[in-house]
Amino acid sequence: MDFLKRACVVLTLLFALAAVPVFAQQPAQPEQTEEFIPLDQLPPQDQLPAAPLLIAAYAVLVLALFAYVVSVARRLAIVQREVQRLETDLKRGSRA
Amino acid sequence: MPKWFTPATVVCGLMFAVAPVLIADAPYEATMGLVQKIFYIHLPSAWLFLLGAIVCGVASARYLFGGNPRHDRLAWAAAELVVVFGLITLITGPLWARRSWGTWWVWDARVTSSLVGWMIAWAYLILRKYGGPGSDKLAAGLALFGMANVPFIYVSVNYWRTIHPATTVVPTLPVSFGIPLWFSFAAFLLLFVLLLRMRVLLEEQRARLDTLYLSMDE
Repeated sequence: MDFLKRACVVLTLLFALAAVPVFAQQPAQPEQTEEFIPLDQLPPQDQLPAAPLLIAAYAVLVLALFAYVVSVARRLAIVQREVQRLETDLKRGSRA
Repeated sequence: MPKWFTPATVVCGLMFAVAPVLIADAPYEATMGLVQKIFYIHLPSAWLFLLGAIVCGVASARYLFGGNPRHDRLAWAAAELVVVFGLITLITGPLWARRSWGTWWVWDARVTSSLVGWMIAWAYLILRKYGGPGSDKLAAGLALFGMANVPFIYVSVNYWRTIHPATTVVPTLPVSFGIPLWFSFAAFLLLFVLLLRMRVLLEEQRARLDTLYLSMDE
């Protein structure tokens, strides 16, 4: 038990020491945004690099929602089929 | 399904057809340009992720103290939506951040607490699926922690050093940004309600199935 406690303490210390260089190497971060400012025209250099990310984000939304709706609909159909089957069996049983 | 479900689905479909037009017509943001348009799906998803955690927490609290299985079913359904909308938030966020901040991920208070909230929802679902008898009460307790995390996620950007936009961004949005955002949010909210109703129906049917099995055994 003592050995286990010591091992836990040593491991915690090792993790804490390993985290020091990670935090030390954090790059300087841009300033926090306070407000959004509208712009009439998008600068040409901004158009292409952003497009794949934008498309990817909308694709993730559509795929995630579609997959979830299909998943719920399938589970619902299976359970409803089972409910109907049992109800039919019960009716037959009560008639017999 | 209730009577309102089909008309609401049609309205929701129409709203999701119109939303991209409004988003495309919205002006570009001065510093972020085109990629800022992710905002119109990222923010509504994030809000519904938080709303889902609140619904799950409130329903779980009512189940813990009242014992009504209806509340338990609602909590379970909401937890699944927390996972879905949390996933969308946690993927669209890095896609936006890569272009705006030059990095996919930062371990700031908001992103980290959102990840924790998402993992709590996963823990809830895993507990419900594999926890066995009594896991409903344990999971309900867990949902309370998920709900307690929500205000922390929301205000974290105001109290900790972060590059995430402050909560002042939305109230000060110009109308040209605000219209597509609120329209998009309304569409997402309607979708959330529809999905929640559909998922609750699944739990109702499962409860009915259990009752039928019990009556067969008798």
